[in-house]
Amino acid sequence: MKPVATPSLGTLEAWMQAVVMHPEGAEAGLRSQPARRFIAPAARDPSAVVLPSKQLNSLERLEIYAHMYYARLVEVMEGEYPTVRQVLGPSAFSAACRGYIARHPSRSRLLNGLSASFPDFLARTLPRTHRHRLAVDIARIERAMEDVFDAPASTPMTAAEFAAVADRTRLWTNPALVLLKLRYPANTFMNALRRGGRPRIPRPRATRVIVFRRGFQVLRRDQEPEQFRLLQALVAGQPLAAAVRASIGRRAGSAERVAQRLRGWFAEWAGAHLFVR
Amino acid sequence: MDWFEILSENFIDTGGRPMYFLDQVAERYPIVMHGVSLSVGSTDPIDFGFLDKLKALAKRVRAKWLGDHVCWTGVAGLNGHDLYPLPYTEESLRHMVSRVRTIQDYLERPLVLENPSTYLTFGVSSMPEEEFIARLAEEADCALLLDVNNVYVTCRNHDLDPVAYLAAIPADRVVQIHLAGHTDNGTHCIDTHDGRVVDAVWELYARFTARVGARATLLEWDADIPKFSVLQQEVRKAARFRNGLRKAAA
Repeated sequence: MKPVATPSLGTLEAWMQAVVMHPEGAEAGLRSQPARRFIAPAARDPSAVVLPSKQLNSLERLEIYAHMYYARLVEVMEGEYPTVRQVLGPSAFSAACRGYIARHPSRSRLLNGLSASFPDFLARTLPRTHRHRLAVDIARIERAMEDVFDAPASTPMTAAEFAAVADRTRLWTNPALVLLKLRYPANTFMNALRRGGRPRIPRPRATRVIVFRRGFQVLRRDQEPEQFRLLQALVAGQPLAAAVRASIGRRAGSAERVAQRLRGWFAEWAGAHLFVR
Repeated sequence: MDWFEILSENFIDTGGRPMYFLDQVAERYPIVMHGVSLSVGSTDPIDFGFLDKLKALAKRVRAKWLGDHVCWTGVAGLNGHDLYPLPYTEESLRHMVSRVRTIQDYLERPLVLENPSTYLTFGVSSMPEEEFIARLAEEADCALLLDVNNVYVTCRNHDLDPVAYLAAIPADRVVQIHLAGHTDNGTHCIDTHDGRVVDAVWELYARFTARVGARATLLEWDADIPKFSVLQQEVRKAARFRNGLRKAAA
């Protein structure tokens, strides 16, 4: 077939992108409306735009890029969501990733944020079984682990600085801290899987998890409901006394009991470097 | 180890461990920055926010030089995270020259651009890749990173002569060389960086360095990474080829 009238650089780039990013491959991409809008004759014969080699025809050459586009990005997501992949199974996970990439193509120069809305995508698109809902919770944890890994460095408060904290003091929390309210005991399930166990899919039970970085280690911990509420208030910037008042219910027990629990929580948080200068 | 090359994008918008170790390396070794997302050939507007981040990183690690590829990675705001080939036309050349000049002015340093591995060619191309790259380097006044494996892969995929390709590359523009392994699928080769450098690429490397002299050479092996001793063995082989001891190296 004779070549098409010389397309501009911009037209060629937009055409090739429409072809190689098509979720059903380059052949479907060539026939797609966006690609035809840019270079219509190539839908019938891609050799009008892309030359064949001795070994491969034009479509096969485009397929190389189309295949690599999804394969590379799915591989990135496999690295970010290993437990979700384990729970869904490799082929279902791969299909979910391809669906996500087609719906949310990367708009960033970096890969860090590629899968930022993958947990929400899974919540919208997976069947509503316990296994799939658990996978959504695990995706939220694994996404948080990625964010925490990349968060800026900070310097934890010292014991002397803690000693100087007064009622009206605002505590600054570690930027590498994410708080998650989940529908399943997903953190416990993940721990069991990572220890090599074969835990059963749990029944729904509201849990609260923090994901944080201590030094260079990304860690996860379950939190009690009141403990989680207090941490939420502190992260929101409430002064210490106000945060405690807002978080601890009237039925929390005697003042001594409350003080004991607070001491325990703050000891845990300080050890986890959740408060920083 | 003489020096380090970093993938620029891996150290942008990240704190903690990556930056801690990068700072440690930068204190002890020269660093060069090599990127994959600058998308110099794209017809989208230049992303000056991204250039700011590259510039800040280059300052932090005191980068000897900073580069990317002769390619585009996306248009209409999208990024395919791949190195897409350009049509080698006068229009593309004017576009690239103008963008490289703007980027160099903004970064206040020359760019070092690498020839990519490509898997298709456009019918509208009016010149060979090596001529396009040579003219780009001269007209934009930028430096080149010659990836010898990419030359081999591209020439295999497009039925071209790698020796003629290398002969067209202006020696005085080349500041760095890449070597790598690739996957030969029979009908085409893919630049996979997952194995030893093949003999044909070593031959091309020896031929090129014999013409242009020694250049900073980096072995790219970033998938199926072997033991450090295997990597080191391959790097030493490069030194022997550079010194013209081809028989001993083989």
